[in-house]
Parts: sequence; C-alpha cells; structure tokens
Amino acid sequence: QAIDDDCNQTGQLLAAMLDWPQGTFASRVQLEDGAVRVEREVDGGLETLRLRLPAVLTADLRLNEPRYATLPNIMKAKKKPLEVIPAAELGGAPGGPPRLKVLQVQEPPARAGGEKVENVAALVEKLRQSGRV
Amino acid sequence: AMAWRAAPRAAARLLLGRRGIASCLDPSTGLTEDQKEFQKVALDFAAKEMAPYMAEWDEKEIFPVETMRKAAQLGFGGIYVKPDVGGSGLSRLDTSIIFEALSTGCASTTAYMSIHNMCVWMIDTFGNEEQRRRFCPSLCSMEKFASYCLTEPGSGSDAASLLTSAQRKGDTYVLNGSKAFISGGGDTDVYVVMCRTGGPGPKGISCLVLEKGMPGLSFGKKEKKVGWNSQPTRAVIFEDCIVPVGNRLGAEGQGFSIAMQGLNGGRINIASCSLGAAHASVLLAQEHLTVRKQFGEPLANNQYLQFRLAEMATRLVAARLMVRNAARALQDGREDAAVLCSMAKLFATDECFGICNQALQMHGGYGYLKDYAVQQFVRDIRVHQILEGTNEVMRMIVARNLLQG
Repeated sequence: QAIDDDCNQTGQLLAAMLDWPQGTFASRVQLEDGAVRVEREVDGGLETLRLRLPAVLTADLRLNEPRYATLPNIMKAKKKPLEVIPAAELGGAPGGPPRLKVLQVQEPPARAGGEKVENVAALVEKLRQSGRV
Repeated sequence: AMAWRAAPRAAARLLLGRRGIASCLDPSTGLTEDQKEFQKVALDFAAKEMAPYMAEWDEKEIFPVETMRKAAQLGFGGIYVKPDVGGSGLSRLDTSIIFEALSTGCASTTAYMSIHNMCVWMIDTFGNEEQRRRFCPSLCSMEKFASYCLTEPGSGSDAASLLTSAQRKGDTYVLNGSKAFISGGGDTDVYVVMCRTGGPGPKGISCLVLEKGMPGLSFGKKEKKVGWNSQPTRAVIFEDCIVPVGNRLGAEGQGFSIAMQGLNGGRINIASCSLGAAHASVLLAQEHLTVRKQFGEPLANNQYLQFRLAEMATRLVAARLMVRNAARALQDGREDAAVLCSMAKLFATDECFGICNQALQMHGGYGYLKDYAVQQFVRDIRVHQILEGTNEVMRMIVARNLLQG
C-alpha cells in the first residue's frame, strides 16, 4: 500500500511478473517444507492459503509487533547517508507521459432490494443459485 | 485479584493514546527531534512493558530484572555513560527526559534504574581504564546491577560523618561497618561504597567498588516499605571484608567528592521520576473528572476542580522547567550546576508529590484503592523528598549558596 497513491499493487505486480504465488495482507506466516502457510486478512475475516515456495508475501500490520528503536540507533539514524537519485536516472521523468492508463471507471452496482424467503431450505437454495455457497 | 490488574492496563491505555494531549502539559515541547525520539521510545516502553505490571511488582515486591534488561537493550542501562564502555553517551537533559517518560510506567522501577545509571557513571568517570572496562559493559547491559552505598545507620544527612572504615593492608583494604537503606541491596552485583580510609570529615573518605560474593560482605533483612516495592532495600554489612586496592575509584580522600558529583545527576534523575509520576497522575485525574458524575454532571464541570487541575498542571510545568534547566547547567559544566540541581530536586519532588496527592483526592474513595494506579504514584514518589539528600539538606545547600557563595 504505497503512501502516495494507496494502490495496493506492488506485491501483486511483482508476483505476476515473476509468475510466483502471492499471499497478501499476511497476518500470520508459517514456513513449512518447500511451502508457506499464510493467514490473510480479508474483508470477511481470515483466509488461510498454502503457497509453494518461492512466493511473494505482503505484510499486514497485524503480522508483527514493531521493535523499539534503541537509543544508539536513533542517534545513528541522523548520520546514515541519504542518497538522492534523480527521477531521470530511474527511467521516468516527472511530468512525462503517465505509465498508468485508465481503462474504465464504474460505480459499484446499485444496491438492489432484498427478498424474503419461506424457510431455511429456500434460503440455502437461493444462496446456491446465486453462487454464494 | 483481577481488579488490580485491570486498572494499570487502563492507565497504560491512557498513556499510549493520550500522551500529554493538552498542549500545556506536553512534555515534548521545546525538545530537539532526537530528544522527541528518545522520549517516544521511553513512553512506548513505559506504557507497554511497565505500566501493565507496576501494581503487581508493587504488591508482590518483584524486582523486575527481565524488564530492566529489556530497557538496557534499548540503551537505558548507562544513558550518560561513554559509548566506548557500552553507554549511550547522551546528555543530562536527554537522561532527564528519558527517566521522566519511563516513570509514567513505574516510578519505583525507574528510580532504581536511575540509581544504577548513577553508579555506572561514577565508575565510568572516576575509574581508570581497567576499572571502566571491567565494570561498565556488564552494568550498561544490566547483565549486572549496581547499588550506591553512602548512608549508614548513624549518618544520613550528615553523610561526611560516615564510619565504615577501610584499613589499608598491603594490596587490599579491609572494610568494617555497615550501610543502611541501600536500594537493590542483596539483589545487585556491584556496590559503590563510600568508606573512611583517612581522618574524620569528607577528606578522609574514599570510594571502593565491591562485588557480591566478596568474603565479609553480607546483607540485612529486606525492608518493608510504603512504596518503592519493586526494588529491594537492605542494609549492607562489612565484616573484615577484603577489597583489592585496584577496586578504588580515584584517589584516597576523593570519595566524598565522587559521591556528591554522582548525586548532582542523581538528584536530577530522581526529580525526573517525580515529574513522570505527576504527569501520569494528572492524566488519570483528568480522565476521572470527565467520567465521574455527581450532582447530575461530570466532576469536570465543577469550577473548583477545574481550577485545582489547572494549578496541578501549572506546577508540573514549572517543576519540569526547573529540572530541565538544572540538567542543562550540569551538562554544560556551569558553576551554579550543583545548587540548581538541589533547587530542582527540592522543588520538583515537593510539587510533584502534592500533584499526585491532589490527583488521588480527586478520585475520591476510588483513589484510596490499590486497584487504581494513582495511589501507587503517591506512595512511590513520597520517598523522593527524603533520599538523595533530604529536601531539608537541599535547603541547606541553597542557603549556603545565597549567604556564603
């Protein structure tokens, strides 16, 4: 989730370019033999995936507890070199042609009315028909 | 038994989410970017690693060795000790800011840590190269802990009249006597002991570093105290205790000066601990005033209480400025540093105790329950008006400066 455009795409793009499996929004990671078990934070709760290695993972804030900065490190931080790289050297001049093309913008579907059903069996049938179960 | 665990966690949440929220109380104003970073680490550490446990440490009299070692890993074991022996090499003002922040999590534990820091600094500053390398690294990491031994049963305020004798015998000193009220005594590893090698008075006093396990070194019973229960306090007893001459810091006769110079910094640190406790207490009182209702409205609507809170905040800021001013004077090596340290210790410890006590009062009956953190801050910082030089001795120092200096 880049801090400039919030696009949430870097890890996903990388996985696609490398043709590696991806486990994004990881809140728990367990290494197994040749694979990794990833618990992902998704809208509906948690999803667990098992990915063959190598894989691309992106971290959710729940993955780890940040360390405390130590006093010596705080002082060293000031002295660390801050390398400035002009954008031109990275192959993209600011103000140049955009590298993202907008294909389509659409609103989410308007919220339709609900439907009352007779009993639980009918409910389950409806859910099956609409592909939600 | 669950109740006393709940309240300190509430206090911890309070500290994390509402760090000096009122701009008048914000302890980070006027600080450099670096100092704000140090303060932030210390406040985070206090809120997460100390505040949730301070009640338990107090009730069960636990000396939180592992927590202090975690703090030492962040550099809090030798804050103003030189880096070449494991210290963080920070200034007295940086140190004050850090102890003030840590104290919001547990004043008693932070106060012990400040005593430990003072001892390491004394060895760092007055020890020779061999002594610095022998003692400081393991103290900075808090692999070992230190105690400061000056007070005796017969000499508190009149420290220079101490009687513990150290007779020179070849390559050793033989110590006889005892020290009283030693913070950490019995549990700590390294003892910085002021003892008499020469004639009476301050000039006959030297400073020796002892280690637990030396033959002839033993300890009294653990004292039962009103506060400071997360650090053990015991008498330290010397019976023909043999100490190598190589353990003497500085020259014979320099011990009293070393002790007093240690205390200048120690006074700022203790005062800083009082500041942190008072800050935490003001936040607790502020929270309580908004939540508690009587006569149909929150206590905070009551002008008397509003004014009282304002006075508490004003005194806290005044005390903080006194302490930080003294810290700057000490680190700059100014002539007036010692007397400013005394003034700051006097003012801050007195004012902050009053603030914590007021905060307790504002809690009403709840303030008297151990489920609520405010009473522990009151109990813990009460002793700051007494040790590292009583506030009466602080007045002596200031008066002497005014009338003779």
